[in-house]
Amino acid sequence: MIGLLLRFYPARWRARYGDEFAALLGERQLGPFDVADVLLGALDAHLHLRGLGAASEHAKGFAMSLRIGGFAAIAGGILWFSGFALSSINQGSDALFALALGVGTLALLIALIGLSAFQARQYPRLVWAAFIVPALGAIVSLVGMVGMATMGDLPFIGSWSGWSIWAIGVLALIVGSALFAFATVRARALSRPAAIALAISSFVVIPVLLGVETLNGVLPEAAAPLVVALATLAFAGGWIGLGVSALRIDRSRPVAQAGGTA
Amino acid sequence: MPPRIPELGRFAEPALLILVSLSDGPKHGYAIMTDVEAGTGRPLGPGTLYAALARLEERGLIEAIAPVDRRRPYRLTAVGATVLADQLRDLAEFADLGLRRLGRARP
Repeated sequence: MIGLLLRFYPARWRARYGDEFAALLGERQLGPFDVADVLLGALDAHLHLRGLGAASEHAKGFAMSLRIGGFAAIAGGILWFSGFALSSINQGSDALFALALGVGTLALLIALIGLSAFQARQYPRLVWAAFIVPALGAIVSLVGMVGMATMGDLPFIGSWSGWSIWAIGVLALIVGSALFAFATVRARALSRPAAIALAISSFVVIPVLLGVETLNGVLPEAAAPLVVALATLAFAGGWIGLGVSALRIDRSRPVAQAGGTA
Repeated sequence: MPPRIPELGRFAEPALLILVSLSDGPKHGYAIMTDVEAGTGRPLGPGTLYAALARLEERGLIEAIAPVDRRRPYRLTAVGATVLADQLRDLAEFADLGLRRLGRARP
């Protein structure tokens, strides 16, 4: 009887759910209501599977954006911290640090896109609104870096030097990261502690970066860069935490993915 | 009231019952059926259960975990828990509104 009922379902459906469904049917005595329900379920499976490819591709898209966003957030956090903190204490090659900052900023931009795409399933307006400021900041700072590399201290766009454009972009990226973190706390799809850490560290890092010259005058010579490095580390740590939480969610999805595509 | 478990059509109610059933931990299909029946007093047919399970799984609201014998347990994902909490909050507000209009507000 159970084998016969299962035959009404499509082969693709049976490949994924057949075994557990047969076990379920074997656990109870089937009455007329159950048989009718199973037959209607089989009809639904035939109709539903026609659109399942699109739904699976949709789910794959979310999983992909989560994975890319997660890895990019981790890479961006690490590179941003390395480039920014080490360049602040003037050790090593400027070109290397600039490269780390540039690639790190690009990675954060990718992370913003990937994580926003994932979270926008539930709160599209909130998440995409919070995405705009940091994304623009990342793009502006990258443009500024190109200006610094090509024009040095000379004006790059209008009377603005590459450094000025880069600095404005970085500030927008940090302020925007706080907005993105608030949206992430509200969306509750990714780690809330990591989002809260990012929000708090964003507020900490702004005055520290703006006041770095003042810090140099107040604190011992070695302490000011250390404060900057710690603040930047907290900021980068927030992004890394969000990336790790995204990958944890993604890692728990393969069985579900298999279910969608079987 | 906006739909918070989207695009599930006639499976929206079974899906909500399944999400509530999974809210206290992973369960396999039969455990979900008996839990829902115990909680609502209404049977949940096996065909309806798996049609709703498949849709919830596709949308990433639940996920299957390693099977025990032939039974495969399911659990809520983080997104699923969020969607369920929002849905229940909306339903509670809606129920309060209805009870207030009836003059039978909950204490």
